[in-house]
Amino acid sequence: MTALLRRSPAGLAGGAILVLLAAVAVLSYAGLLPYDPIAQHPPSRFRAPSGEHLFGTDQFGRDVFSRAAAGVGNSAFVAVVAVAFATVVGTLGGLVSGFYRGVADGAIGGVTNVLFAFPPLLLALSLASVLDRNRFTIAVAIAIVYVPIFIRVTRGPVLSLREIEYVKAAVSTGLSRWQIMLRHVLPNITSIVVVQVALSLSWAVLTEASLSFLGLGTPPPAPSLGSMIYEARSLVFIAPWTLIAPGAVVVLLVVGLNLLGDGLRDTLDPRNRGKR
Amino acid sequence: MRRIAGNRAVRRVASTLGTLFGVAVFVFVMLRAIPGNQITAGLGTEAAALTPAQKQALEQYYGLDQPLVTQFFAWLGNMVTGNFGYSARSQQSVLDLTLHALPVTFELAVFSIVLALLVGVPLGMLSASRANAPRDAIGQVVSLAGLSIPAFLLATTLLSIFAASFGFNPNGQGFATLVEDPLLNLQQMFLPALVLGFGIAAPILRTTRTAVLEVRSHDFVRTARAKGVPERRLQVRHVLGNALVPIVTMTGLQFGYLLGGAVVVEQIFSVPGIGRQVLLGIQQKEYAVVQSTVLVIALAFVVVNLLTDALYRIIDPRVRAS
Amino acid sequence: MPRGALSAVGIAAALSIALTSCSSPSAPAAGGDAPAKGLVVGVTSDPDTLFPWKATQFQAVNVLQNLYGTLTEFDKDLNVVPGLAQSWEASKDGEKLTLKLRQGVTFADGSTFDSKDVKASLERLMDEKTAAVARASLASVKSVEAPDANTVVLELTGPDAALPANLATVNMAMLSSDDTEQELTTTPNGTGPFRLGKRVASQSLTLARNDTYWGPEKPQVPTVEFRVIPDESSIVSAMQSGNVQLAVFDDPLVAQTAESGGTITVAKTPQLNYHVLQLNGRHGELKDVNVRLAIQCAIDRKQVLDTAALGEGEVTGPITAPAYRSDPSKRPCPTRDLAKAAGYLAKAGKSGGVTVKTIVSQGEYATSVNEAQNLKAQLAEAKINLELEVLESGAFVDRWVAADFDAAVALNGGRPDPDGSYGRYFTSDGNLNKVAGYSSPELDKLFAEGKATTDQAARKPIYDQVAAHLEDNAAWIWLFAGYTYTATTANVQGFVPMASGSLQYLRTTSVS
Repeated sequence: MTALLRRSPAGLAGGAILVLLAAVAVLSYAGLLPYDPIAQHPPSRFRAPSGEHLFGTDQFGRDVFSRAAAGVGNSAFVAVVAVAFATVVGTLGGLVSGFYRGVADGAIGGVTNVLFAFPPLLLALSLASVLDRNRFTIAVAIAIVYVPIFIRVTRGPVLSLREIEYVKAAVSTGLSRWQIMLRHVLPNITSIVVVQVALSLSWAVLTEASLSFLGLGTPPPAPSLGSMIYEARSLVFIAPWTLIAPGAVVVLLVVGLNLLGDGLRDTLDPRNRGKR
Repeated sequence: MRRIAGNRAVRRVASTLGTLFGVAVFVFVMLRAIPGNQITAGLGTEAAALTPAQKQALEQYYGLDQPLVTQFFAWLGNMVTGNFGYSARSQQSVLDLTLHALPVTFELAVFSIVLALLVGVPLGMLSASRANAPRDAIGQVVSLAGLSIPAFLLATTLLSIFAASFGFNPNGQGFATLVEDPLLNLQQMFLPALVLGFGIAAPILRTTRTAVLEVRSHDFVRTARAKGVPERRLQVRHVLGNALVPIVTMTGLQFGYLLGGAVVVEQIFSVPGIGRQVLLGIQQKEYAVVQSTVLVIALAFVVVNLLTDALYRIIDPRVRAS
Repeated sequence: MPRGALSAVGIAAALSIALTSCSSPSAPAAGGDAPAKGLVVGVTSDPDTLFPWKATQFQAVNVLQNLYGTLTEFDKDLNVVPGLAQSWEASKDGEKLTLKLRQGVTFADGSTFDSKDVKASLERLMDEKTAAVARASLASVKSVEAPDANTVVLELTGPDAALPANLATVNMAMLSSDDTEQELTTTPNGTGPFRLGKRVASQSLTLARNDTYWGPEKPQVPTVEFRVIPDESSIVSAMQSGNVQLAVFDDPLVAQTAESGGTITVAKTPQLNYHVLQLNGRHGELKDVNVRLAIQCAIDRKQVLDTAALGEGEVTGPITAPAYRSDPSKRPCPTRDLAKAAGYLAKAGKSGGVTVKTIVSQGEYATSVNEAQNLKAQLAEAKINLELEVLESGAFVDRWVAADFDAAVALNGGRPDPDGSYGRYFTSDGNLNKVAGYSSPELDKLFAEGKATTDQAARKPIYDQVAAHLEDNAAWIWLFAGYTYTATTANVQGFVPMASGSLQYLRTTSVS
């Protein structure tokens, strides 16, 4: 972390944004928000932002700030679970596929191609209609969309790396394939994977938002940033804050994730270490 | 030598067919796992009023009374002979529908990718030319914006701004194909391609930046520079040339994705592309439409993959050398 | 539930971030005919079928109404008026209805319309194998005779006061006896004011004026193009730039946006369709009338209307048809009364609270999820826990059709005749009674009486009793009825919006 601090001001800024958002999300989990994000209070509908309601209130008189805060918690949970799943499965798949080639490559490539060739919307629609909808199944649905991306992005470089002299040299020293993969190949694709994780985290946040926006995300009344935008989309002339607040929070979250991802990459990438 | 090449081609074809079969099974099963069928999609809650005999007549009409396995192989067999099925909703064969929709989406995808490359690659190189300097910040901001602004938001905003301030709303007229009216067509493609291109420029920019940074840290660049290779030639031939693999991967990925993933933008700008065809099919539970169209999209994906792989062989000096 | 709600279909609805836009009008693409201007109607989807007997989708009905003729019609106030039948008369005992047909009417293919076509159409409509959606409306018809070319006699099982109104729907369109369903799905052949012109699937459908139309006035516009623009907000943009001249919306916010530019006129028409919390009185805790009454008393309907639909609509009782409208102030607990609700729960022995599994469709119409959220919040205060299941529309329809719910948040289609609206739901042999979840001998008797009474003044009190019985037993919880918004540009004249959302007055519309 100190290294990150020294090396990448952008990463630091990203980290700061995320810490801030995380703190707010923790508040929501701890029940320390100014208002109950679900309770309705019709008499105070459509209040503009003020000291009392930081981001104003929506058409049910619910506090938009409290809802956005709870929504961040939801979005972050879904994104992290989805990307963790996709990273592990996808990178492993890409490694095995690019390194072993042959049958393994064929099998993994086959599944990847099938998933890839499938329009994501249909996948999401189907999964959302078939599965019992909750935060976890939504995360899994998103992960399934991202696994093949990880496989594809890692497989190409692994194919290339396999031909490089020192890897060939390592093969001749009698190391097992798994040892070579983990010691010599994996570190060399780390930067690609990390960039992909950063991209995917932000994409996952956006995907979760889009899914909720299409009505396939977290079921109401539990707040999610996407469903807040969905509910507010047509209120933009009457109560613009109901749209701007969750919209801004989504963008902030995504920006924070991207900045942090860049910082991490600059710090973690072995070839950047010790330079500058 | 020829035999090896022949074998590879055979394997390629086999794996392609395998993929398509997998997609066929997957889409078939998925569709039927979604609640509802063409009868309830067409009649809505009125379906509750059907008598058993009426229901049976309708099931027979839509071919839903056949066993699933029969339905599957009948459909697949028809596909092979070029019979993609029939859309009762539009009273047209799915083949005809697809032949109209696919070129539209393809055109949109090409424009979007070209826009994205024009923005993404130069900005990515610029960013990487001095990491963390102000010029890098430009690239970072552009890519952040591209990644963080949802397409639906950008699309609706652009449409309203252009319509309100410049009276420019070509998408309000009936859609014209490139052949019918090239000028109107290009106008109608402009905003959707801009929105999609902007979104795709971001990953391409980032991939370019990362790849260029990575390549520059290799010894051969330093060697070349020490040998006195001019800077511009060094950047384009040595650095960009070697960074092309991930850029091409990302471009191929995005292009393939666009073929089935432009639905939202097609919807907002009334572009009658293949994505909307699938969406309508899903809404109406027109199994033949969805199955055949998804399979066509899958085929397009596979072709893009093959081309991407073929490009590796041409551009990657390491694979080329081996 | 009316498919009309589907005009804001799924994603199109989800994407309609309100837009403002305005521009200098660019020339609308006229389909080749330069002198008289055609009309362009913006729609979110094209018809899902062109066969009138199976069309329930709003867009399909709107198109087909202009292509086909029916024996009777509704005027703008929803009174039954002559259509292809010039007059009709019931026998004294009500067991015979004699229709005199209009002469000199031709189908689009040039063939003459006569009693042979009526007999064939009605007999096919009654045949189960046809799977016609309006079949049940002909339940009282025993047989159809055509004594001469211009006369048709319906033999009835008994008096049926609702029959003339039932004959007015396009689902009862008169087809030529020579045509098959297969032919008509590609080539419509009707007696309506327009004929099918060019069709580009999923993009546009153009109607051409029928110059031999029988009506007193020939249609004004040479063509009507239904142009598919999937996003409602994009339709507004297209109207503001002059590319589209007429559109029908049911989302108040889209209508508000359209009006805000100043170039578009929006007319508000109260809908027959009603928003309702359907209760399934044969399921779970709701079997007990006291639990249902507790729900009835625990809901402030005005609050639902205000929060979910921004106050755009009227709180309503069961019957929304203008001539038979129920008075919502006569229901038990016309205003919210939590003490009474608690009393009913206690009477049911459920003072600790009850749980009601409620299905909600998402994307089918704009306000469903909002209504559900507000109902849940209100009922929670009365210890009634609405357990919401938000479903994609296909899943919702499946569950609804199977009556697999305790309660359902729904937007149901109202009809001009109360028997047409509720007979099928609340008579014990009605084809939707399973879904309605309630019936009683009293209701059966009232509905039979209503059907047998032809005098409207005498029918009104009967249906008042029906409404009272339904609400006294809290069969369902009727909430409110919204508006249909008809948007037209300044150069459109002569269009008359109807409470049914029908576009039948395209025939009197002109574009300058």
